Amino acid sequence: METIRDMEPPPHIIGIKHFVDYKTVDEILKSKNFRQGSHQESQPFFGDSLLTIDHGEHFERRRLEAPLFRKEALEYYEREELLPLISSSLEECEQNRGADGLVRADLCLLVRNMLARISAVTTGIDGVDTPERTDAFRTYVEQLGTGATVEWSTEDHGEVIERILAIRQGFVEEFYGPSVERRCELIDQFRAGQISEDDLPRDLLTLMYLHWNEDWDDELPLREATLYTVASSQTTTHAVPHMMMHLHEWFEVHPEDYEKRFDREFLKRAGHEAIRLHLPSPALLRIALEDVTLSNGIEIAEGERVACLFTPANRDTSVFGDDAKSFDPYREVPDVKPWGFAFGGGEHTCIGRTLVTGLSARTDGDEGTDGTLVNIALALFGAGIELDPEEMPAFTELSYHDAYGRFPVILRDL
Amino acid sequence: MADPELHVKINSLICEGTAYCVRINPDVFGIGTDGLGEVLVDRPAPEFEDSLEEAATLCPTRAITY
Repeated sequence: METIRDMEPPPHIIGIKHFVDYKTVDEILKSKNFRQGSHQESQPFFGDSLLTIDHGEHFERRRLEAPLFRKEALEYYEREELLPLISSSLEECEQNRGADGLVRADLCLLVRNMLARISAVTTGIDGVDTPERTDAFRTYVEQLGTGATVEWSTEDHGEVIERILAIRQGFVEEFYGPSVERRCELIDQFRAGQISEDDLPRDLLTLMYLHWNEDWDDELPLREATLYTVASSQTTTHAVPHMMMHLHEWFEVHPEDYEKRFDREFLKRAGHEAIRLHLPSPALLRIALEDVTLSNGIEIAEGERVACLFTPANRDTSVFGDDAKSFDPYREVPDVKPWGFAFGGGEHTCIGRTLVTGLSARTDGDEGTDGTLVNIALALFGAGIELDPEEMPAFTELSYHDAYGRFPVILRDL
Repeated sequence: MADPELHVKINSLICEGTAYCVRINPDVFGIGTDGLGEVLVDRPAPEFEDSLEEAATLCPTRAITY
């Protein structure tokens, strides 16, 4: 099975200038002469969210939301939410013990369930507290993600948008609406002096309703919540199967490293390599705000949309070495982020990156958390994860994304 | 008087020059001639700690430590 594939550009970026080398992509992402140009069709889902606004407006929105990712908050999520959720998710897997005594699971679903609850906490969605409710929430988030990335869908885009908007209504009725209602009641109590600010939940929806901006439309919190629920689960859900596949292959060739499957630093490096090679957002678009001449001499006209292809840029041999197109958990790239453009770049760098990579990554200069990739990998190896020899993983056919749609595993030690 | 426990640094390898830190605290942070963030006061007084935390958290690439 080919586990590292070249990127197939989706239709929506064919016909515009593509940039595939690391240096040029880096220049464009950092440049203040461009604005966000992605998510044109998916405006109903992500419109005016943090992902799609720029410059001053982006700064103000990011400033509002950044406290969700303070060091103390990240430590809380990891210690009080992520680790217990990982444990309970694995315990639930034991209910699927087969006649042969083995526990089998689809890693794609398992990780998505783990992350669903975390994303609910950071976003401010209540009631994701039983296996059934988690499954329902996870399904909604998965569908919302399909709508929010409709540009990458291999299905008819209009049909996808219509279908997902209808599904979103169910999400609003079952989860989002009641969560907002509770928070608004609490905020009213706070403003009436009946409770202190410390009594308010610390999540996205509370922040938005507490600090309402009159320039926002009434539906903006729903779109921002969509961004958070989708983005906070998507990267890890996307990355963990790739990480497990590459480690499976690595350990076959390097059996002496198998004992490192519980080594946090080794797993961190493996996680970085996995997301470097397999980006959850393989390409982003930018629109020039004025006529621009890049350092390589290429001219871009005002209003022109260009595509930054992260997948080839993250495999740029001039940056990541001659073997850039292969997985190497010992790769040393001292001058760039080890994950390359996996979290974008410039002011649009993913606000939730530290949830995934942890704060103790080399680039943070701080100790504190290890992030979702390391903690989930540790738990999976603790559960004795193996690929299921009777059922091979398969890539999704519903999207141009470099993602597994199914990843059967055996959890031998459960 | 500067608090010796506050030591502000910007990792120039990961700073991407968004200048968000300058917007939060222009007394401590500036933009260098290379377009990247620079520390103007590397050992600021204790009352700057809250704004340093905000700047460090807000920095899109988490390039700031203190």
